[in-house]
Amino acid sequence: MSNVGLKVVANKLRKRVLEMCFANGGHISTSYSCVEILVALYFSGVMRLDPKNPKSSLRDKFILSKGHGETILYAVLAERGYFPEEWLTTRYRSGDCILGGHVDSKVPGVEVTTGALGHGLGVGCGIALAAKMDQLDTLHYVLMGDAECSEGSIWEAALFASQHQLGNLVAIVDLNGIGSLDYTKNYIALESMADKWRAFGWNVLEVDGHSYDQLIGALTLDRTNLNSKPKAVIAKTVKGKGVSAFENDPVWHVKPVTAEFLELGLKELELGK
Amino acid sequence: MYSKFDMRDAFITALYDLAINDPNVIILSNDFGAPALDRFRNDLPKQFINAAISEQNIISTAAGLAKGGKKVVVYSIATFITLRALEQIKIDLCVMNLPVTILAVGTGYAYSTDGPTHHATEDIAVMRVLSNMRIYSPSDANMSAALVGTISNLSGPQYIRLDRGKYPTKHLASNLTSDGFAVWSESQNPSVALVSTGSMSHRALAVSEALSSMGIASLVIDLYQLKPVKPELLSLALRKCKAVVTVEEHTQNGGIGSIVAELIADQNLLIPLKRIAIKDEHLYAYGVRDKLHLDRGLDAQTISGVVQNFLDYFN
Repeated sequence: MSNVGLKVVANKLRKRVLEMCFANGGHISTSYSCVEILVALYFSGVMRLDPKNPKSSLRDKFILSKGHGETILYAVLAERGYFPEEWLTTRYRSGDCILGGHVDSKVPGVEVTTGALGHGLGVGCGIALAAKMDQLDTLHYVLMGDAECSEGSIWEAALFASQHQLGNLVAIVDLNGIGSLDYTKNYIALESMADKWRAFGWNVLEVDGHSYDQLIGALTLDRTNLNSKPKAVIAKTVKGKGVSAFENDPVWHVKPVTAEFLELGLKELELGK
Repeated sequence: MYSKFDMRDAFITALYDLAINDPNVIILSNDFGAPALDRFRNDLPKQFINAAISEQNIISTAAGLAKGGKKVVVYSIATFITLRALEQIKIDLCVMNLPVTILAVGTGYAYSTDGPTHHATEDIAVMRVLSNMRIYSPSDANMSAALVGTISNLSGPQYIRLDRGKYPTKHLASNLTSDGFAVWSESQNPSVALVSTGSMSHRALAVSEALSSMGIASLVIDLYQLKPVKPELLSLALRKCKAVVTVEEHTQNGGIGSIVAELIADQNLLIPLKRIAIKDEHLYAYGVRDKLHLDRGLDAQTISGVVQNFLDYFN
């Protein structure tokens, strides 16, 4: 799919996420910061996927370690055909609920249950190591929030992945500079994120997390040469990206979307098509 | 068959025999060794990973390996792996119900002189609240080795807690039954059932012998499967007695005393119960294990006296 096509998909997904958050809640700004990352993974051909056969042994795997970004992941999976689109309205945080408030591996297309932060990279290490042991050429992607990187378990996993040369593993950091309560710079030393990963033995690339050219280039791996350092993609993003009212403001991590902001957001997204 | 081994070496020796024929059997060690592990590391280097001192990551990585079809044994010290990595155990193993074996060494005061940082006196309580978790607590090397037989067809997580040291082999090598417990020292018309687990089952046996010399008939129940407990079968065994006493080297909160108390409540058993366990306090006195037991009333003589007084109360 061309970059123009990817942009159309991203716009559609942002609208859908907005409607989902308005109807039943969700972390709108957490989802918006990583829309382009997920669109690059799921729609550009970076990942080898077979939505009709979600358990295919040849599939690449994605783990949303920042499990409170479930709204965008579920919108992406529905768009790719893993489950009916109507679930996003009838079964998301409501009714006969299967799409809960955090990511659940019972949902078709979801690999790992997340929600408690700092688990995804470790599980990704195990999945990637098993694939390496079995000499598979599958790829494994783990998306973490930057504030999530305060979890010590992530750095345990980072050491493990580099020790075992998990070149089939990509850690993506959604570097938006905002945690749940505040800008990260005000409370925890997460500066020099790239240097930290480099020091842990990773091959590091810093990209604009809203640029398809940069994301696709960074996320693409050579399947014939996976016995190398794991790769960390530090994606500089804007939390809440796509609707100016939501952008770069910590309050939108948990603030409910009201009718006023639904209308405002849909209008702005329509203009941004 | 494993009578010359301690429980840990028996398990690892049996695991070697399984792993040498199944390359999907993987040990993830918490930078932790054992005499029998040297042969495993040497002969099967691709199936042994020293995953360093990183309990949280070990559990998450084990979950990922299990998702990739590996039969993983996480090998660690009991208190470290159960407490440091509790959330990973809950979510990555139990919520996703992945077949991973946690092989944990050092139950109760096994690391006696190492103090409270190394004592595992809460592990049963902590593990048994987790849905999908199975718990085994073998009392001898044969039983420990027999538990390796669960690994190939595991459908969810299990926690196997091992004591250190050698204990008399009371079980046959193939004695792992679906009952989840064994009755030792069965006598006609027993007054009291002594329920214990792990190495403390041998203490219960010593108590039973002491009671016998006082003219009190008892039976010893070695409860080696702590979760799930087979309620009907265990109830049937307890109903033979007028009273039940649980004996454990574990805090009184949530251990086998609690398991039996819950069973009595849930199965409508009208049987008096006495729990002999570690009081709800941390230990800040260091000493050899026998001394720790003596100071806390877990020696055979003190337990026998408590049982006798308990029975007198009802007679």
